[in-house]
Amino acid sequence: MRNPLIKRIPKELASDWHKYLVIILFMVGMIGVISGMYVGRESMVSAIESGRTELNLEDGSFELSHRASPELLENISTGEKADVRQYFIDKGMEEADKEVADAIEEELNEQVSKAIEDGVRAQCAALGVADEDTIQSYIDAAMEENFDSALEEARNSEEFKDAVEEAYSKAHDAVIEAVDEEWSDIEEEYNLAEDFSPVSVTVYEHFYRNESEDNDNDGVEDATVRIFKSDSVIDLASFIEGRAPENTNEIAIDRNHADTVGVKVGDKITVSGREYEVTGLLSYVNYLTMHESNTDLMFDAFGFDVAMLTPEAFNELTSRLHYNYSFLYDVKPEGKIEQADWSERFLKSLITQTLVDDNEIKDYLPVYLSQARNFAPSDIEGDSTGTGIFCYILIAVIAFIFAITISNTIDKEASVIGTLRASGYSKGELIVHYMSMPVIVTLAGAALGNILGYTAFRGMAVKMYFNTYSLPIPRLVWSPSALVKTTVIPLLLMFFINLFVIVKKLQLSPLKFLRHDLSKTKRTKARRIPAWSFLSRFRLRILFQNIPNYVVLIFGVILSELMLCFAFGLTDSLNNYGERAPEMVFADYQYMLMDYKDSDGNAIVTDEETAERFSCTNLMYPKENTSSMRDGMGSGGDESVTVYGISDGSSYISLPGGIPEGHVYISTAFRDKFYLKSGDVITLHEEYENKSYDLTVEGFTDYEGGIAVFMDNSSFNETFGKKDDEFSGYFSRNEITDIDEQDIATVITADDISKVTTQLMHSVGGFIEIFKYAMIILAAALIYLLAKIIIERNEHSISMVKILGFKNGEIGSLYIIPTAIVVAVFTVISLAVGYFMMLWIFHAFLMQMDGYFAFYMSPLSMVLSVLYLLIGYAFVSVIDFFRIKKIPMDVALKNAD
Amino acid sequence: MEENFLEIKDLKKSFGTGEAKQDVLRGMNFTVSKGEFCVLLGPSGSGKSTLLNIIGGIDTPDSGFVSIKGDKLEDMDEKQLTVYRRKHLGYVFQMYNLIPNLNVKENIEVGAYLSDKPLDVEEVITTLGLQDHKYKYPNQLSGGQQQRVSIGRAVVKNPDILMCDEPTGALDYKTSKEILALIEDCNSKYGSTVIMVTHNEAIKYMADHVIKLRDGVVRHNDINSNKIPASELEW
Repeated sequence: MRNPLIKRIPKELASDWHKYLVIILFMVGMIGVISGMYVGRESMVSAIESGRTELNLEDGSFELSHRASPELLENISTGEKADVRQYFIDKGMEEADKEVADAIEEELNEQVSKAIEDGVRAQCAALGVADEDTIQSYIDAAMEENFDSALEEARNSEEFKDAVEEAYSKAHDAVIEAVDEEWSDIEEEYNLAEDFSPVSVTVYEHFYRNESEDNDNDGVEDATVRIFKSDSVIDLASFIEGRAPENTNEIAIDRNHADTVGVKVGDKITVSGREYEVTGLLSYVNYLTMHESNTDLMFDAFGFDVAMLTPEAFNELTSRLHYNYSFLYDVKPEGKIEQADWSERFLKSLITQTLVDDNEIKDYLPVYLSQARNFAPSDIEGDSTGTGIFCYILIAVIAFIFAITISNTIDKEASVIGTLRASGYSKGELIVHYMSMPVIVTLAGAALGNILGYTAFRGMAVKMYFNTYSLPIPRLVWSPSALVKTTVIPLLLMFFINLFVIVKKLQLSPLKFLRHDLSKTKRTKARRIPAWSFLSRFRLRILFQNIPNYVVLIFGVILSELMLCFAFGLTDSLNNYGERAPEMVFADYQYMLMDYKDSDGNAIVTDEETAERFSCTNLMYPKENTSSMRDGMGSGGDESVTVYGISDGSSYISLPGGIPEGHVYISTAFRDKFYLKSGDVITLHEEYENKSYDLTVEGFTDYEGGIAVFMDNSSFNETFGKKDDEFSGYFSRNEITDIDEQDIATVITADDISKVTTQLMHSVGGFIEIFKYAMIILAAALIYLLAKIIIERNEHSISMVKILGFKNGEIGSLYIIPTAIVVAVFTVISLAVGYFMMLWIFHAFLMQMDGYFAFYMSPLSMVLSVLYLLIGYAFVSVIDFFRIKKIPMDVALKNAD
Repeated sequence: MEENFLEIKDLKKSFGTGEAKQDVLRGMNFTVSKGEFCVLLGPSGSGKSTLLNIIGGIDTPDSGFVSIKGDKLEDMDEKQLTVYRRKHLGYVFQMYNLIPNLNVKENIEVGAYLSDKPLDVEEVITTLGLQDHKYKYPNQLSGGQQQRVSIGRAVVKNPDILMCDEPTGALDYKTSKEILALIEDCNSKYGSTVIMVTHNEAIKYMADHVIKLRDGVVRHNDINSNKIPASELEW
């Protein structure tokens, strides 16, 4: 015979359908979202991963200052370190030889001239010629006639040859001696002393040009476009729409950029003054997000684009060619540790090989550290993990709501339970009975949620990712792990939380149930409460009686307020950052030059009156003691720091005079991100060399635009061994038009700062608005369920006070006001909790990335976040009032024992 | 009739400690035969409900023992006690304790489910005169009807002992007599031993065995050879 208690389940579902509907909708929504996120993510990740081999993704890339010679490429391929000692000796000897040769030549000329002159004067004296002018004319004549032959004769003399040999020998010895003297420094600088095993690679030319893109053909630059050739064999693109360019007036551009700026296949765009027809929309395997530089805080699908031209069209462009090379390891590293180790070993080899070839590394980026490649998959991963955890917390809250509901039901049904236990029902049978409802509801939620997850929500997740990132076309992946995460985990959460509460509740003996003696502990003395009015004391008693319910209610309020702080705060932070962007640049224009001298060796100057020279270099600050939520972000876990050398009396950045050597000012962003204070010593190190600098923080410069260090120019030159006249660029209030574009590396304006917020608002702005309102509904639903429990628990008392003659309004005020006070007080407290938690969460999140971005919540948002929650509660209390009105008076009479 | 079917020996039970200690059972001895209709009679505080609870395995004595068919309850752990209640006992309380969202038939099935040898549910419903109400829910029934359902739930198990704790305590005279008649019927029809706790002196006339309790001890232990049907009881 089937347990007849099972028949209670559908009846209970039907009788309390609105409560279970809210719970099931919750579960379906939560599970559907997690399922959709996971399935969408796995579909995306699968497409991204398959591109790794199908589209020949590089293992890394490096850019050189000029084109590498075939020998250099061959040497780089071996992965071996170059013979740096020999290089320095050869270089030294070359210089020494030149100097010796010059000295010998000078000396020889002098001696031959002197011998001729002495000979002529001796002859003149013998002939009695005393007039100096006459003597000089003889000397000149003799010089002209005999100098070359005399020089030749001298050169051929054994004496001269011996002297030359000796001079060269001495100079060579001096060079070797000097190299050996400085060898320990050189060894340290280039990591030569370390044990080293080579990592052999295959190197591919993968040159590109950064051009200006005018995508609406209005003559104003809209974006920077990085152009690669269509015949490239590495880092290929997949086409989402259209095809590759086939002739010189065709171009294929990034799909995400095109969508963002509204360009379609067939449209015409202007690149560096020339019009091209867009024939295809693509996704480059190494540009899944539009990160122009690896240190960019955020990608910029508005202002940056990657594109493909035919080799012919590419060669017709005139801007600076970036000598970028991609490489593939001959044997693939396994795992992240090996990836990091191989990349480091390869870099050491690359540094020495380029050094001995008189070339220079401008950039080096192993692909596992590439933001453009890893930001999207990492973010997708982070999204689903974050969403997963968030949903699990909500499911746990629902499980607690369930547990409390069941606990109240058990209280209400104590006599029945006592009778059943007395009649022979085992504890296990009753536990199974009371567990069945949460399990059934969770299973129903999981089933419906999964169906929605694999259909509607998956599509939404994929669409969301596809709209934000430049991803290849996703393929549908059926994910067993998603099923586990969306069904097993919620079920386990629901199961164990309820099991714990129910088992604890049913521990009591049948007799205790029959007697309604359900408190495990001895009854404590009644709390003394102040001599307030009767109704106030009554309310306080209600509060005390429902403490466990209010604890869950408070937790629900805190969770809701945290979510609202997130929703309001993120929008506010973005807007705040965007609004303050103009204040975050030192100058309206910041020109970074390729070198301080032009190709003719003259210092680059400008007639712009507001222009002011500055020096700068990029160093790294180790992010020690910070956990890494995400691997492979930023610059290998270290923060990129820009160090500025500022002119005395600068009109752009004011530094107090007399800063001691080795003392610096740091940006407020640097201070806030790493909690630095005056007097702290920061150690910055070179990215590609084993050099570090200890600098003492003297004070702070109010600059939130980046992680920066400021020192005066002379101190800068001294610290970094620069020449006195060396500099890196110009600050200017106006645009500088008299510097050759070839000499300009980058120009930074306020727009570059605000692009972060523009991109973020584009990516997440709409989502946040929906999220905000979803949170309000969620918060109201949570409070609805919890408030319902409180009313249900007090049904008997409410019925009794109705019998006593209290009016519905009075009863409403008795039972609703305590909840209203709790909700109101804890909403305000939760705002503080939520705000400070968001500060912490935001900071922890930023520690995984380069740059800084302060969390900001406007006072209006703070008020609104509280107000929205209270409005949500106001609706709930209206429902509560009707609920109270509906409680019949016979509840108190029928259940009286 | 099987003698010593149920044996109560030196049963003691007290509540509270120190000065507040109250001896509820102070050494109680008696036996009940199988199939007997036994009434435990006594005023409030005489310990009759406590005694019934101990016999029912839902309370434990401080000393002494209860044995049923020679099995001592004190030797049983919680699980075995549950099995004991499940196999041998049916309970009827003063309050009906029906499951509000199950109808009459389903509430009786709740009892039938527990038994290896349940009676036919429909037959029990007919015996209890509930055939017209079997699809009604408890809140649609009168107190007497609810108590019938509660008896049905206990009887349908076909229990060795039917434990009744003031089953008419909340009912009017007429309904009480009807309920008593039903319990009498069940006793004779299904052969269940009935142990009924009551403070109503009149009920002793329908019993085979009357045990009067006062202050935690058995004052009288009488066999009633002239029992009268419940329908003839007056009080």
